[in-house]
Amino acid sequence: MVGAMVNRCLRLRSLCARLLCARAPVSAALLAGAAALMATPLQAAEDTQAEIERLKQELAAVTERLARLEEQLARSPQVDAQTPQPEAAPAEEPLSVEVLSAAAPGAEREEAVAVEDEPDIHIGGAVRFNAFFRDFERSSESKRGESGFDLFRLGIDGEYRNLLISAEYRWYPFMDTLHHGWVGYEFDGGDQVQVGVHKVPFGILPFASHNYWFGVPYYLGLADDYDLGVKYTRDDGPWNTQAAFYKSEELGDPTSVNRYGFDLVRQGEQQNEEINRFNLRLARTFGAGSGCEHEVGLSGQRGQLYNADTDDSGTTWAAAAHLDSRCGRWNVQLQAARYDYAPKNTAGVDDSIVRMGAFAAGYDVVSDADVLVANLAYNFNVPWRAIDQITCYNDYSRLFKDTAGFEDSQLNTTGCAIGVGSLFTYLDVIQASNMPFFEDGSLAGGGDDEWHTRVNLNIGYYW
Amino acid sequence: MGHEPLRRLAAWLLLALAPTALAESQRSLNLVTWDGAYVKSQVLGFIRPYEQARGVDVAVLQYDGGIDEIRNQVRAWNVKWDVVDLELFDAIRACEEGLLMEIDHGMLPPAPDGTPADEDFVPGTLTRCGVGNVVAATVVAYDRERLSPRPKQLEDFFDVQRFPGRRGMRRSPKVNLEWALIADGVPPERVYDVLDTRAGEDRAFAVLTRLKPYIEWWRSGEEAVRMLETGVVSMSSVYSGRVYDAVQRGGAFEILWDHQVWFYDVWGVPRNGPNQDQALDFIRFATSTASLANQMRYIPYGPVRRSAMPLIDPEVRRLLPTAEENSRTAVAGNAAWWAENLERLTRRFERWADRPVMVPRDLPH
Repeated sequence: MVGAMVNRCLRLRSLCARLLCARAPVSAALLAGAAALMATPLQAAEDTQAEIERLKQELAAVTERLARLEEQLARSPQVDAQTPQPEAAPAEEPLSVEVLSAAAPGAEREEAVAVEDEPDIHIGGAVRFNAFFRDFERSSESKRGESGFDLFRLGIDGEYRNLLISAEYRWYPFMDTLHHGWVGYEFDGGDQVQVGVHKVPFGILPFASHNYWFGVPYYLGLADDYDLGVKYTRDDGPWNTQAAFYKSEELGDPTSVNRYGFDLVRQGEQQNEEINRFNLRLARTFGAGSGCEHEVGLSGQRGQLYNADTDDSGTTWAAAAHLDSRCGRWNVQLQAARYDYAPKNTAGVDDSIVRMGAFAAGYDVVSDADVLVANLAYNFNVPWRAIDQITCYNDYSRLFKDTAGFEDSQLNTTGCAIGVGSLFTYLDVIQASNMPFFEDGSLAGGGDDEWHTRVNLNIGYYW
Repeated sequence: MGHEPLRRLAAWLLLALAPTALAESQRSLNLVTWDGAYVKSQVLGFIRPYEQARGVDVAVLQYDGGIDEIRNQVRAWNVKWDVVDLELFDAIRACEEGLLMEIDHGMLPPAPDGTPADEDFVPGTLTRCGVGNVVAATVVAYDRERLSPRPKQLEDFFDVQRFPGRRGMRRSPKVNLEWALIADGVPPERVYDVLDTRAGEDRAFAVLTRLKPYIEWWRSGEEAVRMLETGVVSMSSVYSGRVYDAVQRGGAFEILWDHQVWFYDVWGVPRNGPNQDQALDFIRFATSTASLANQMRYIPYGPVRRSAMPLIDPEVRRLLPTAEENSRTAVAGNAAWWAENLERLTRRFERWADRPVMVPRDLPH
């Protein structure tokens, strides 16, 4: 009998459910009967008395539970769902403003929905192309301009609870390299620690320029530079503090110039590399959220210069003061910096220069100098619906070299950045005097004192 | 002896089936609504009483409005939201798209004096697919300890010279466009006519553009309150009922009732759901005179039933958006107009909102 009932239950599970619960007294009786039926023959032919006792206890527990439910059901009002209930929730207490505070927030209810706890991962990238004209290249003039693939990059930014991750890899026609890659932890107060290859906290952040070509500090490794180390970031109201320690440049291979950020590289008789560097950057923002914000800051870094030939270490330091002012649609960036490299070279090697490299190229840089940045930008209120952003700018930067006879290096870029959906375009007129990548320009001695122009159109699709 | 294993199996199956069957007997309802003090008033006003009266377990889920999720569920025939608290224009849109089931208003309970429901409800709050629940309002609220002089009219919200500080606004074209035009001199009764023209749209966006450097966007009503409480903004648009809850927590907030924008919330039942009878039963319960009056004990919103008003304490009635002294310049949000134009204007609004005012710090490189 019990077996037949179970079989029916397996086939008509929902019916049994109703039988067992909506008609709890019946099901309790059935269970009790089943227990009795089982108990008698089991006692007659049973292996162990103990098992019978255990089954009896479990059945008794179920019976008791059913009885409790039966009691609850009996206490519940029988509601006819089709009948309108005009006074379903009578307002018994007097109504007043005071009772507004008596309620518990909905979020405190047991039924409150749990917050989703899934990683927040974003994979993005970009593909960019250049069209340009160089007045210092005869072929550029003959071809009436040049064009080519600029880069393809893929990146990931992720967050899971307090853990952070960010990485980006870039492919250029002449090299591919890691742009950055770090893991981090964000503390409850918002402080953050990053470990890996990340942006060096120095000067105006995130960029000391607005244009595609950047300014002089970038070519000195003093802007948009990424190295390998650990960084701590903290915000205290208007104050932002960043402290970092870098064990080495980002690749762990100072002989390679296939890198994104400019660093000292070992080439020829110049065998210096930067190691064990400390960075500290303090910035305070005035008028945050007022529509007219002014960030002023101080940056400093100090580290060692390891020379592979002498197996000895010199020193290096740099310091900067900056103002980054965004008032309405205007932005003014001013920065003054000084740096000094004091290498321990082998005898006969020129100490007045060091060797830097990136983008598959290396060049000499004067060892001691001042750097000035003066940028002005304006973000237009675009009247056209199709265009999301037009920011125009003039970015000027100059390297004042300490060494007598070395001509200063200057870079001035006038242009506009135009955003249309996922397309972003830079149209720049880049004028350079004594800068690498412009004829024979040099950030050290020699070079030329002529101004050269590159008109550059960079079109990128970002996702 | 040979039957012993079978009997033992039967005994265990019975034991296993019993709790499953008990669990299935407990009815449940997934209710989707808003956040903060509003959901609190619903929980205490009629959700808990409903659970007790019907023996139904109501799971309260929170959202920020819109009908995208409803569309997804209904089209997939995988409906998990049984009953949803919708803004009226969303209910109209969803109904037109066939996402909500039509509701027979005859099933609604009459007023205590026997007045039929369709005569008891405020006109316009019973729609083909929705049953109204509250008359609420979007207002400007400010911290009286931060602003001196205090704002007196809507135009002051747009005047950052006389009333400095950031402004909180809902990230939506609704209400913002109406206010922009009113602050620019358009008579409230002509707002939707002006917005119907391309020039009127541009005019509204131009006003918002001037304020844009000072705007902090919020998406949920509770965010607006939090921005006021933390001093992130000096003034914010906010759902009126939320302000009193914040005041109870110690905030020195005042409401600027000038040109408050009224709106109705309605209950809707997504199509293709497995729990529609239960959902209708809930709506019947939640929109009874007593339930509405009970909710108003916890939040000062206007009840959609006339019969509920006498049950509300005069002191609370003074705080309602519909109170005479609060509603002199009130604007009735045109839900039908928004139902027709929301999608188009939201696209423009989002693109406009994403456009930076200041020079961006982080241009792509």
